[in-house]
Amino acid sequence: MNEGRQKTGPFYGWYVVAALFFSTFIVIGVRQGFGVFVESWEKDFGVTTTAVSVAAAIGWIVNGVSQPLFGALTDRLGARRVLIAGMLLMGIGTILVAASTSPLMLAVTYGFVVSFASGALSFTPAGALLSRWFVRRRGSAMSVLTVGGSVSGMIMIPFLAYFLLNASWQTVWLTIGVMMLVLGLPVLIVIVRSSPEDMNLLPDGDTESFEDGAGGRTARSTAAGPLTTNRWQQSFRSAPMWQLSAAYWVCGVTTASISVHFVRWASSEGISPGTAALAFGLLSGINAMGVLTVGSISDRMQRKNLLGMVYLVRGLAFVSLIVLPGGVALWAFAIIGGMSWLATVPLTTSLAADVYGVKKLGTLAGLINMAHQLGGGAAVIVFGRVFDRFGSYDLAFAGGAVFLLMAGITALSIREKRYSARFAPVSGPTVQAATVPVAAAGADGD
Amino acid sequence: MSAFNRVLAHHTEPVDPKLVDWLRHKIDDLLGVDSVVMVAALGAVIVLFPVVLLTLVWIQRRRGSRYS
Repeated sequence: MNEGRQKTGPFYGWYVVAALFFSTFIVIGVRQGFGVFVESWEKDFGVTTTAVSVAAAIGWIVNGVSQPLFGALTDRLGARRVLIAGMLLMGIGTILVAASTSPLMLAVTYGFVVSFASGALSFTPAGALLSRWFVRRRGSAMSVLTVGGSVSGMIMIPFLAYFLLNASWQTVWLTIGVMMLVLGLPVLIVIVRSSPEDMNLLPDGDTESFEDGAGGRTARSTAAGPLTTNRWQQSFRSAPMWQLSAAYWVCGVTTASISVHFVRWASSEGISPGTAALAFGLLSGINAMGVLTVGSISDRMQRKNLLGMVYLVRGLAFVSLIVLPGGVALWAFAIIGGMSWLATVPLTTSLAADVYGVKKLGTLAGLINMAHQLGGGAAVIVFGRVFDRFGSYDLAFAGGAVFLLMAGITALSIREKRYSARFAPVSGPTVQAATVPVAAAGADGD
Repeated sequence: MSAFNRVLAHHTEPVDPKLVDWLRHKIDDLLGVDSVVMVAALGAVIVLFPVVLLTLVWIQRRRGSRYS
């Protein structure tokens, strides 16, 4: 074991993961927490739920569209600057929500400012950043980041709900905004660096460099695959980008539709909303464990096989909703679906990084995420129409199952061994590098 | 209610207020503690995480500078 690493503790990249875990935790908490305040806004503004919902609807679209933009900025300026600017803007936006006096102001402050800024703190820049810090353990690092969102639902949402019982909604939003500026911002500024090279380190905490295919010497992370690119447009001339985007579109279709229509489906089956919520809570708990497991395993085998399996397992969950009786289907879906719910996130971003490299990963991840959001938005409407037309979700669930089967096959058909840099030939380690301790590396970021 | 507010917990979509309310009552039944205590406990978890993290990084950097 390297002496320098023993002296300076764990690989610094794990502190970066922890910092991004916290930013994901707090940002997703604010985004999901919107629902907690709907009734308060209805009373204070004297409007219907629909009027308040406009802010959420705008926010969803703005957040989706902002992803490629922040992805491109990540590639141009470095993820650290994007994340810090995002946290600053989101903190200010969150405080401005507290000052809202009408649905229109809420639509502007939450729908535009907060939702736009949250795009800068999404998986797009964070995933691109972690792809630079981790290569061999990329899947594990991404999965920890993803779990930040799950944990947020378990801690931030109850926190907001209880806080609202003891204070006005303005006080709650003001407090959250201040927390973002006082806690979230320093964590990003002090800890996060755009790449390990900024601290004179190598990805994964490696202390050895390798010969690359071109006769030069490189860290394992920069060993290029055949599709590694410096221009994001080039990625669309190859199959994996389309395969990943198409499959992730299906992910958006199937998760957003279930998220929106699960309770309504449960009601149509004679299941109470409380029981449906409990099942969904079980799904969330299983999904947190599933994400960590899948992320960790994906570092030891081809990621596309796991990604394909995740889609197929989710397809099985959709089939269970059709063929099993309501009460049984509810729990079957929670358990089977839970294993696959968020597992696509670390696998898709990691695989994109493995195939196309990290140079333009921000833009690529942003585009893939946009496909996810657009698929989700469309599916919510289509599933609703199907239920209104037929009085049942069976046809929509069958469609979802077919899409998931196709997504599974698509993911499995990715030629990972041919295109992924993980499987690109590299020669043995020869050069000692990156043993500089953290403090000696300096604190400058980008 | 708009479909957008029924969205539960995938990625960043808002949670359903009715489900949050149900969850809160369930927690109350289970733990039976005052809501102020819940705010303090959950708030402490949220605040302590970054504080502990920053402290650990500070310690690691101090160790690093000692050995450099």
